[in-house]
Amino acid sequence: MHPILADRRRLAIYLSAWLLVEMLLVLLLVRGGTLRLVPAAIVAAPLTILYAFICLSAFYVCRTAPLETTALERTLTVHIAAAAVSSGIWLVCARWLAAAAARMSPWFADASAAIASQQALILTMGLLLFLLASAVHYVLLAAERSRDVERQALELRVLAREAELRALRAQIDPHFLFNSLHSIGALTGSDPAGARRMAILLADFLRDTISLGGRDRIPLADELKLLERFLAIERVRFGERLSVELRLDDAANVCEIPPLLLQPIVENAVTHGIAGLVDGGTVAIRTLRNGSRLAIEVENPCDPDRRPGRGTGVGLANVRRRLDAAFGGDAWMKSSEENGRFKVELSLPA
Amino acid sequence: MLTAIIVDDEALARQVLREYLQTLGGIEVIAECANGFDAVKAVTDRPPDLLFLDIQMPKLDGFEVLELLADTARGLAVIFVTAYDEYALRAFEVHAVDYLLKPFAAERLAEAVARATARVGHAAAQNQAAALAARKREGPLERVLIRDGAQVHVLPVETIDFVEAQDDYAAFHAAGKSYLKEQTLAELESRLDPARFVRVHRSFIVNVERIARVELYAKDSRIAILRDGKKLPVSRAGYARLQSLL
Repeated sequence: MHPILADRRRLAIYLSAWLLVEMLLVLLLVRGGTLRLVPAAIVAAPLTILYAFICLSAFYVCRTAPLETTALERTLTVHIAAAAVSSGIWLVCARWLAAAAARMSPWFADASAAIASQQALILTMGLLLFLLASAVHYVLLAAERSRDVERQALELRVLAREAELRALRAQIDPHFLFNSLHSIGALTGSDPAGARRMAILLADFLRDTISLGGRDRIPLADELKLLERFLAIERVRFGERLSVELRLDDAANVCEIPPLLLQPIVENAVTHGIAGLVDGGTVAIRTLRNGSRLAIEVENPCDPDRRPGRGTGVGLANVRRRLDAAFGGDAWMKSSEENGRFKVELSLPA
Repeated sequence: MLTAIIVDDEALARQVLREYLQTLGGIEVIAECANGFDAVKAVTDRPPDLLFLDIQMPKLDGFEVLELLADTARGLAVIFVTAYDEYALRAFEVHAVDYLLKPFAAERLAEAVARATARVGHAAAQNQAAALAARKREGPLERVLIRDGAQVHVLPVETIDFVEAQDDYAAFHAAGKSYLKEQTLAELESRLDPARFVRVHRSFIVNVERIARVELYAKDSRIAILRDGKKLPVSRAGYARLQSLL
């Protein structure tokens, strides 16, 4: 798209700048001979407009010779050649117009003579004007490109954020939602106040998930609050089968971690650990800050004879990938199962 | 009056079903179970007309419960109740009457019950097919379920040393104990992982990891000696199968 022709406002500004050229041209013609001011202005007007449009073609010359990839000599040669051709055409047109005008009315009788006497100046002016137009077009092209780059960067950022959000959404098991909604439905009959509490817990959990998920890093304390909400909801479902033990180091609370890093681990502990046990058990979460390191541990009992499959693998692999992305080699995660106890340990820079 | 048993590991989920059924009327809930073992026991003690069955449960999942109940519960109409829609196809294969997705409305339950009521009494043949379908689960067997009265044993296949045919039964030998299950060796052979279990003889399937060595016993007749010293006969065809695997 032509940066000036395609934009009415720019075209208006461009053409009004050419008023100066018109005045200059009139001055040249009046001083060149006996032509008076008004006929000189009438001859100059169409010539100016014509050349204004001829100069717009500088855009195509600029495009064939982008500054970044073209040698300076070549750029200059191309533009000077184009400018010479353009101003030549302009002069021919001017002479033809003057002659035509003279034939129409004696008023313009001196027009041809005026142009003939000033043709060197008109040629020079045409040359310089075309080169100026080239410069203007280069500036416009550069501005456009930098805006493109900016827009692309913005689009990329939006895409990246969307991808991250999709990943986060995938971390929340939809069955957790279905089961929670089923529990709320069940409570409405027997314990309306409990149903309301559960609905609020669920809403708070979802809101936290969305708002925390949008950030790069969050304090460990915020993640722990989210986990407590999650476990409170699951406790409504599992009743006495699920209990929770938190052993938290206050000094660790300010450490920053990627959001929802621990959530899938704790969700695993419930759905693949506690849910598989007739009598349930305790999910234990421990945090400890030791100098420049932060240690987090999630431990739960599990049925050693449980059916394989429906694996915890995907969730934990996701956590590991996010750790790598956030800390490079400076963080690790280890999971182990021994004597019916499943344990996930994380170590991060504090 | 129809009878029903509710099986779900979540108390609230059982409660909502009970409430719905009460409002619906005409159905008496005779038992509630929180896990698969209890379900097998309750259904064996007093088979109901309707069985509301959760799928994801501790110890035994809903499909395993059905497999164990296949012989007892003729005429049992099964309605699966779960938050997971990915089992619907399998539920259809085992001829479940309906498949309720949590959370569900009372009207949806009424529909399922109506469908089940129409099928009560006609379900016998279908449940036999259901048992077969449940046994032909995709992929090799991961664990063997053995019912001993109301008690259920779960044997992970890797704990099995060998299986011996005894008339219509298969005797599973694992960790020094043996368990009897009504099953033919041919059917069992088709379901076990062929890279792990080999039919070495008309009456024996052995876990290849347990074989210490194979010795020539007489002309054309061999015996396999297991790590624990137990000796099993190996037929000529069985020896060929063993060789092709090792």
